[in-house]
Amino acid sequence: MMAPVSSLPITAFKGRAFRLQLREGLAGRILLAVLLSILCAAALVALSGHNPVEAFGAMAVGAVGSPHQIGAALNRTTPYLLAGSGVALCFRAGIINIGAEGQIAVGGIGATAAALAFPLDAPFAVAASLLSAAAAGAVWAGFATAIHLGRRVHEVLTTLLLNFVALLLVQQVLAGPLGQFGAGFLQSPELPRAAWLWRMPSFGAHSGFLIAVVAAASLSFVLWRTRFGFALRVAGSSRPAAAYAGFSLPRLTWSVMLLAGALAGLAGGIEVLGVHRRLIEGFSLGFGFKAVTVALLGALEPLAIVPASLFVGLLEAGSLSMQRQVGVPSALVVVIEGLTMLFVLAATVRRA
Amino acid sequence: MAPLLKMRGMVRTFGALRANDGIDLDVQPGQILGLLGENGSGKSTLMKVLFGMLPPDAGTIIFRGRELSRHHPREAMAAGIAMIHQHFMLIEAMTVVENVMLGWQQAGRVIRTAAIAAQVREASRRFGLHLDPAALVATLPLGRRQRVEILKAILRDAELLILDEPTSNLAPTEIADLLAILRRLRAEGKGIIFITHKLPEVLEICDEVVVLRDGRVSGRAPVAGASRARLAEMMVGRDLARAHKPVPRTPGGVRLSVSDLTGPGFGSLSLDVRGGEILGVAGVDGNGQIELTDTLAGMRRAQAGRIVLDGRDITHAPVAARVQAGLAYIPADRASTALVRGMSVAENLMLRDSGSSPYARGPFLTPVPAATKAQKLMTEYDIRAAGPSAVVMRLSGGNQQKIVVARELDRAPAVLVAHQAAWGLDPGATRFVLDQVIALRDAGAAVVYVSSELEEVLEISDRIAVMAGGQFAGEMPTAEADLKQIGLWMAGRPE
Repeated sequence: MMAPVSSLPITAFKGRAFRLQLREGLAGRILLAVLLSILCAAALVALSGHNPVEAFGAMAVGAVGSPHQIGAALNRTTPYLLAGSGVALCFRAGIINIGAEGQIAVGGIGATAAALAFPLDAPFAVAASLLSAAAAGAVWAGFATAIHLGRRVHEVLTTLLLNFVALLLVQQVLAGPLGQFGAGFLQSPELPRAAWLWRMPSFGAHSGFLIAVVAAASLSFVLWRTRFGFALRVAGSSRPAAAYAGFSLPRLTWSVMLLAGALAGLAGGIEVLGVHRRLIEGFSLGFGFKAVTVALLGALEPLAIVPASLFVGLLEAGSLSMQRQVGVPSALVVVIEGLTMLFVLAATVRRA
Repeated sequence: MAPLLKMRGMVRTFGALRANDGIDLDVQPGQILGLLGENGSGKSTLMKVLFGMLPPDAGTIIFRGRELSRHHPREAMAAGIAMIHQHFMLIEAMTVVENVMLGWQQAGRVIRTAAIAAQVREASRRFGLHLDPAALVATLPLGRRQRVEILKAILRDAELLILDEPTSNLAPTEIADLLAILRRLRAEGKGIIFITHKLPEVLEICDEVVVLRDGRVSGRAPVAGASRARLAEMMVGRDLARAHKPVPRTPGGVRLSVSDLTGPGFGSLSLDVRGGEILGVAGVDGNGQIELTDTLAGMRRAQAGRIVLDGRDITHAPVAARVQAGLAYIPADRASTALVRGMSVAENLMLRDSGSSPYARGPFLTPVPAATKAQKLMTEYDIRAAGPSAVVMRLSGGNQQKIVVARELDRAPAVLVAHQAAWGLDPGATRFVLDQVIALRDAGAAVVYVSSELEEVLEISDRIAVMAGGQFAGEMPTAEADLKQIGLWMAGRPE
């Protein structure tokens, strides 16, 4: 899971030298990068003695072959879209937040705790749990921000390291207050039905996907059409210019980090309320790390992250069926994701 | 004699902009060709095309009898063309000889420092460069660093040297030395293209001048017999109005009052500027000017002292509050402070006013009125760009600075602090900036104009203060300016 993170062009942990500059003509470049990575993957499949067309066919059927599979793919897309949009906003402001993984984890705790502690009626239970998830994610991002701004530790370090603390915290609460006694597995009891997300009949897609799309659209609006978004973009392009423009860098950092934390927390909450209906150890499956890939694949534009996250969601949803039917290991999808990341970075990030 | 370089019908476009529109250029061996033109006239583009950094859309380049096409800087260098950029491409942590060897095939695979150092010493002696091969580049003044670049070109057997505004960062004595070096190079039969804004240098060193305007050759003349006024006219296409003479005026009340201001790198300083008055701050760069102007603008914290604007204490006010209070600031660092180069003209015009009408309503931006406003400012301040959404990076330095000026002055500020506002601009754009500052003064604002260009300060200000070692060495009305005294103050010597 760490590979995509270390391939980020982080030039300096000590200073503020990191600048992500994107080239123009992005859409074409990114599509080309995706195409190239698929071609490479096809070559790998062929090398392993299987028919690439057959393998990708099986993957496509696995991803969109039936309403249920489409639903599963949409559910898989949701955390990437939410967390990726938040990460994209941070990157736009020149803040390298790779703490989405931990924020998702504590978001799961937040949702579970609220659902178990306050058995409310149907719409309120979901709302309270999701709010609690977002708040938990924001608090977790807030820790990283406080250490970053207060002690001048680079945000890559504070966000990254708090991920591991958060993952252990999930184990801790599952072994303690939120755990299901005698389950033989680190998980919480099943949440009350009132806290479950609504699911689309026969597709099984939960309402979280809609929430994520609305969130991405709103973030795009925030980025391009609000003063806050303008300040973010200025700060991301040039710190001195942001200071000259009178934008408070600490305030911007706090705002965007709390926002991204809330979104990642929400992703965790949706995963718990919509997919597992309980908190399970390791429920996040590295969503937060891959959210960085997805954000870059979507050129840090929340609306473009919708197709980017769909791409990853469909790939992963289809991978199991490819393994079952053709015998190509589903890990190949991780290879495709890694290659896509490399190609996209090569195609889009300009040397400063 | 066959020309060393023959460029014919060079065309290079960027979108709708014809940066080079059919330019012919010849350089003879042993000739120094002055290439003049306002910012954005196409000089840099032409040189980039010659050096292979940009492919031309049309035109042929013949260098030493061979055609250069589809070449890259590597091939241009191999053919004998050397480019010396305004910003040197040296590694400060390495010595002169190490920088010379860097990326040089002939230096061999095995490093022969002693042999190359001998070559460096020999060339240095022959051309009067006075370079010690073992000296660390970081310890060399700018003029010497430039000579390292020239030395690299000589050792690589360059026949044609392109110098892009080589004197803009040099002290007067360094300029004289550079011109002497160029004369020696000319005597050895090298061709030199000398890009500059400064007419006296052209008159002193160049054999011929070519003037570009709007991507075309607007004038071409041998220097012998050409006058300063004639060349300047060729450059801007109109007679340069001679510097205004200060009219005796009665300034208003004090609008900016600074007392005992101290910060890292300067202080303690006191100054009062009245409405309708320009206080010029002269001095050699690096004597606390940036620290002073940044502190006045609120980008650095004052350690002690007070700043009062129109009776209001703004010593500890944040940047935005100072802007609101009527303080405009043109910082020296255009590239990454005054402008966000990757953003559009419209976004840069709203950079410091993004919270107010017509750029925003409440927390939301209002792009349509903002674009209208940007269009209006572009017309008023003659900012030449494809439109409000054009990316600032693509504009010439003059047009970039006009954006800054438009933004800061359109607010009708009470006080303007400007630092190196005309740095690197051609005469036309410089005139424009100075005229705008003067108009603001005449409208009743107080102006602090900080520049290391003494001529500029003398021309524009009503009073002159000289900064040395972070403090004011002295102050006098411009009408009574005594250049000798100012020189002594600048040198930091006691009166």
